[in-house]
Amino acid sequence: MGLAGTELGAGRWSGTGRRARDFAARLLGRSDGLVGVVILGFFTLLALSPSLFVGPLQTVLSATGTPLEPPTSTYPFGTDELGRDLLNLTVHGARISMLIGLMATLITIVIGSVVGIVAGFVGGAVDNALMRLSDFFLVLPTIVLALILAPIILDVIGPQAEFLGIRATLLVIVIVIGLTSWATTARIIRSQVLSLKERMFVDRARVIGSGPGRIMRRHILPNVVNLIVAQAVLTFATAVFTETTLAFIGLGDPAAPSWGQILNNAQSAGAPGLGAWWYIVPPAVSVVLVVLSFTLLGNALDDVLNPKTGQRR
Amino acid sequence: MTARYILRKFAQAIVTVIAIVLLNFVLFRMMPGSPERATKNPHLTPEFVAAERAKWGLDKPLFPNQLVAFIGSTATGDLGYSIKYRGQPVTEVVMNAAGPTVLLIGLGEALAIVVGLWLGARSGWGRGGAMDRIGNAFSLIFYSMPYFVIGMPLIIIFAAGLHWFPTSGMTTPGDKTVVAAIVDIARHLVLPLTAVTLGLVGAYSILMRSSIIDTRSEDYITTARAKGLPNGRILRSHAFPNALLPMVTLIAINLGYVVAGAITAEIVFNWPGLGLLTVQALDARDYPLLQGIFLLIAVCVVFANFAADIVYGYLDPRVRF
Amino acid sequence: MSVDPRDLARSTDEALVDARLQDATAVPESSAADVATAKRSRRERAIEAALQIRGRRQWAPPKQAKPGAPLLEVRDLKTYFRLESGTVRAVDGVSFQLDYGEALGIVGESGCGKTTTALSLVQILPPNARIVGGEVNLMGIDLVKKTENQLRRYRWREISIVFQGAMNALNPVQRVVDQIAEPIEQRLGEPKATARAKARALLEVVGIPKQRGAAYPHELSGGMRQRAMIAMALACDPAIVIGDEPTTALDVMVQAQILELLERLRRDLGLSLILITHDLSVVAETCDRALVMYAGRVAEEGAIGEIFRRPRHPYTQKLLSSFPNIRADRRTLEVIPGSPPDLRAPPPGCRFAPRCTFAMAVCSEVVPPEITFGDVRVACHLYPPGSDGAQVTVPRPNAIGASVPLVEPPPDLPPMEVPA
Repeated sequence: MGLAGTELGAGRWSGTGRRARDFAARLLGRSDGLVGVVILGFFTLLALSPSLFVGPLQTVLSATGTPLEPPTSTYPFGTDELGRDLLNLTVHGARISMLIGLMATLITIVIGSVVGIVAGFVGGAVDNALMRLSDFFLVLPTIVLALILAPIILDVIGPQAEFLGIRATLLVIVIVIGLTSWATTARIIRSQVLSLKERMFVDRARVIGSGPGRIMRRHILPNVVNLIVAQAVLTFATAVFTETTLAFIGLGDPAAPSWGQILNNAQSAGAPGLGAWWYIVPPAVSVVLVVLSFTLLGNALDDVLNPKTGQRR
Repeated sequence: MTARYILRKFAQAIVTVIAIVLLNFVLFRMMPGSPERATKNPHLTPEFVAAERAKWGLDKPLFPNQLVAFIGSTATGDLGYSIKYRGQPVTEVVMNAAGPTVLLIGLGEALAIVVGLWLGARSGWGRGGAMDRIGNAFSLIFYSMPYFVIGMPLIIIFAAGLHWFPTSGMTTPGDKTVVAAIVDIARHLVLPLTAVTLGLVGAYSILMRSSIIDTRSEDYITTARAKGLPNGRILRSHAFPNALLPMVTLIAINLGYVVAGAITAEIVFNWPGLGLLTVQALDARDYPLLQGIFLLIAVCVVFANFAADIVYGYLDPRVRF
Repeated sequence: MSVDPRDLARSTDEALVDARLQDATAVPESSAADVATAKRSRRERAIEAALQIRGRRQWAPPKQAKPGAPLLEVRDLKTYFRLESGTVRAVDGVSFQLDYGEALGIVGESGCGKTTTALSLVQILPPNARIVGGEVNLMGIDLVKKTENQLRRYRWREISIVFQGAMNALNPVQRVVDQIAEPIEQRLGEPKATARAKARALLEVVGIPKQRGAAYPHELSGGMRQRAMIAMALACDPAIVIGDEPTTALDVMVQAQILELLERLRRDLGLSLILITHDLSVVAETCDRALVMYAGRVAEEGAIGEIFRRPRHPYTQKLLSSFPNIRADRRTLEVIPGSPPDLRAPPPGCRFAPRCTFAMAVCSEVVPPEITFGDVRVACHLYPPGSDGAQVTVPRPNAIGASVPLVEPPPDLPPMEVPA
C-alpha cells in the first residue's frame, strides 16, 4: 500500500488523488502524525519567508538593542551580546537550520538509496564491498568524522568559495553530514530490495526481457519509494540535530546564524554562566521541537506507508 | 560463542582500525597542502622540522614510502607535535585529556544504561496507561535534545541561579587534600553527568520499551504464564533477557553518538576532556592534534563495538559462527 | 473405574504398582501382561523414577477440592474476544467432563474454538479475551471465579499445557533442563539442585538423553523439543495435561513417536489428557473419548468407538468421510462446501446449518438442544429430545443440499481399526 505501486510491477500513478486523500486521513488520524505535521508546518512557514515576519536578518551593523537585555515588549526574546534582536535571529535561524537540514538530507538519501538499491539488487562482491564500506561509516559517528573532514575540506576549497550563493562553511557542513549519514539508509533500503528480489522471482514473467537498469527503475524503485520517504523524514531530524551540534562546536558560519550557531554565540558570550536564559531558550526549544516533530512524523509515516504485519501499538 | 566468533570479530575490528589509519593518511597527507599542515609549527626549531620531514619522508613519493612511514609512526605512538600546545607530542596531550572524558562518558553511559533499561522495561511490560504515556513523552523529548541543550538550562538553573554547583570546569584551583580533591571533582561532575545521562536515558528507555513490547507477544511468555509464574519473575527471567539482545547492538551503535555528544557537553561545562581539546584544536587549525584525537576516538569506538559483539555473543546462545 | 491415581503415588512396591496400573487404565490384557513381564529396561527404571518423584511429593490435591467431584467438569463455558470490528464468540456454550485417567480428544477445524477452550481452563488468554459465562470445575473448584493470583495455584500444578510449535514456546536463551526445573523450583519450592536432578529424570522419561538437557532449544530437533515440552508439562505432577496440537508441526514418523510417548505416559503415570487436534487419526489412536467442536459449540461427544463407528452429527459424518479410509473401497474424497461462519455474527440456530446436507427449517431458527443417550451426546435437530439416538426424521433435500448428493447416513460404516 502506499503512494505508488501497490503491486509488484510498474508503478501506477493513476488513482493517486484518491489514494493521497486516504493517506492524509490516515496520517493525520494518528496523534504523532498530527503533532508532527502541525509543528513542521509552523516552522516551514517561518522558514519560507522569515523576513515577512520579523524583517531582514539583523547583523552586527544593524543591531539596535542594548546587549544582553532580557525580554521586553520591544524585544520579546531579548537581545544577544551584540544587541541583536533574538526573535529576529531565531526566526531567520529557522530558515537556515532547515535549509541545511534539507540539503544534507537530500545528499544522504540519494547516496543511501543508490548504494542500497545497487547493493541489494546486484548482490555478490559488489554487495559485500558496499556493505563493508557502510559498516565503516556506521561505526564511526558522523560528528567525529565531520570534525576531521570539515576543516580539511574547508582548507582545500578555500573559505571564500561559494556555490549557489551558499558560503563555503555551510556547504562543508552539508556535504559532511551527507557523506557520513548515508549508511543507515543504505542498509534499510538494501534489506527491502533483498526481500523484493525474492518476490520478483515469483513475478518473473513481467521481468523477462528487461535490462537491470529498467528493472531497478520500473519495478524496484516504486516499491522502495515509501521506505525512502519515511527514511528521509527521519534523516531530516538527524540532519538538523547534527548541524546544530556541529555549529555549536564551531564549524558553523557566524554570518548565517542557524540555531546551533546562535547557541555557539551564546556559549562564547558566557550566557549560561550569566544566567541569560533568553539567549538560550528560543533556539534550544526550536531545535527540540523540530527534531521531535520530524521524529514523530517519520515514525507515523513509516507505520502508515510500510505497515508491518502483527503490529501492536 | 566460539573462539572462531571472537577471532572473527577481532579481525573485523583490526581491519576497521587499519581503514581508519588509512583515512587519516588520506586526509592529512594526500589532501592538497598537507605536508605544510603537518609540519608548519612555529614552536619547533627549523632543524627539528627538517629532521621530522626526513623521518616521515615528506620529500619522498606518497606510495609506498610515506604510507609506510606513516603507518609505522602511528603504530609506535608517534603522532607528531601539537601546534597549540607548544610542540608537545600529540600522544601526550591527547592522553592527558582522555582521563576526564572517560570519567564523564563512562559514568554517564553506565548510569543511563541501568536507568534507561529499567525504565523502559517497566514501561513496556506494564499495562499502559497515563504513567506509561507521560514517561514515554518525556523520553521522546529528551531523546530529541542535544546534550548541550540539556546542559545549558542546567547551568542556568542550578549553577548560576541556585549556586548549588560550580558553573564550569572540573576542579577549582588551589591545594587540597586527596579527599577534598575528590569531593571537588565530584561537585563539578554533577551537572555535566546529569546532562549526559539525561540525554542518553531517553533513547535507551524508548528502545527498551519497544523491545519489551515485541518480546511480550512471544510464545514462550505464554508458556511462562501457563506455568503459573508470578509476573515479576516472567519479566526478569524470560522477557528481559530476550529483550536485552537487540539493545546490546543498539547501545553499541549508539556509542559513537555518545562520544560526539560528550564533546558538546564538555564545551558547555568547560570540562577539560577530549571534547574541549577538539574545539581548541579546531580553532587553532592544529592538524596533528586533530589527527591524534580522531585516531583515539575512532579506535575506541571500534573496540567498544567489538566488546559489544562479544557481550552479545555471550548473551545469545544462538550465535554460533 | 476411576481409581484415584493418587493412590499410585503412595505405593513404592513394584507389584502393587503394576496391579494398580492394570485397574486404573483398563488397558487391554496384552499390555498389562507386557508391563508385568517386561524386563527392567532403562526406560522402565526411568518411569519408576518418575513414579518415585510423585511418591515423594505425595501429590496432595488442592485444599479446596471437593471429595467425590469429577476431575474436570466444564459447564456452558463462554469466551468472547473483543475486536475493533466486533465481538468474536469463540467459545459459546461448551460443556464436557473429564474423568481421572481419561484421554479426551477435542477435534475440529481451525478456528472452531478448541484452543481457546483449553486456554480458558487456566485463563491464559490474550488481553482482549474474556470468559463471559460458565463454570470450569476442577475437582469441584470453580476456576472461572478465581482471581489471577488465586488461579496461579492451579496452573501447571494441576493443569499443564504442551503447546504446539515448541520452537517458539521455549525460551531461546535458557537451557532446556533449566526451563524444566524452573516450575519445580518456583512452584514446588524445591532447592535448585534437586529441581535440576528431577528435570533430568523427566528428560529421561520422555526419551531425551541426559546430556542433551544442557542444550538450548534451537539445538534440538523438532521432535526433541516437543518431548522437552512434554517433560516440562510433567514437572509438577499435574492432574491434567493439555496437548494443544502437540504433533501438528512434526513429520509423520516423529508424530507417531510423540503419540506413543503420550500414551505410555498416560498409562504409566495415570495422567488425564486433553488432546486438541484437527487430525482425527491422532484422536483415534490415543483417546478414550472425542469431543467434536464446530464454530464454538459442541457438535457431538462420545466414546471413541461410538464416534468412529456411528457418527451421528452431520458434521462428524462429513469429517470422517473426508478422512480417507484405506480399507474401504475407493471413493472420492468428500469436501464440506462453504466455510465456517463469522463468529462475530454467527447464524441463529445451529451454526452448521448453512453447510449441512440435512438442514431443515428449524435448524436455522432454533439452537439444537444437546441430547444424551448411552455414551454419546449430540446437538442436532435430527435427534430431537426423546429419541434414542436413531435418526427419527428422514430429511428432504433442501436448497443447500441440492447441489450435494444426498447421502444417507450409513448405519454401518466399514469397520475401522479402533483401539478398544
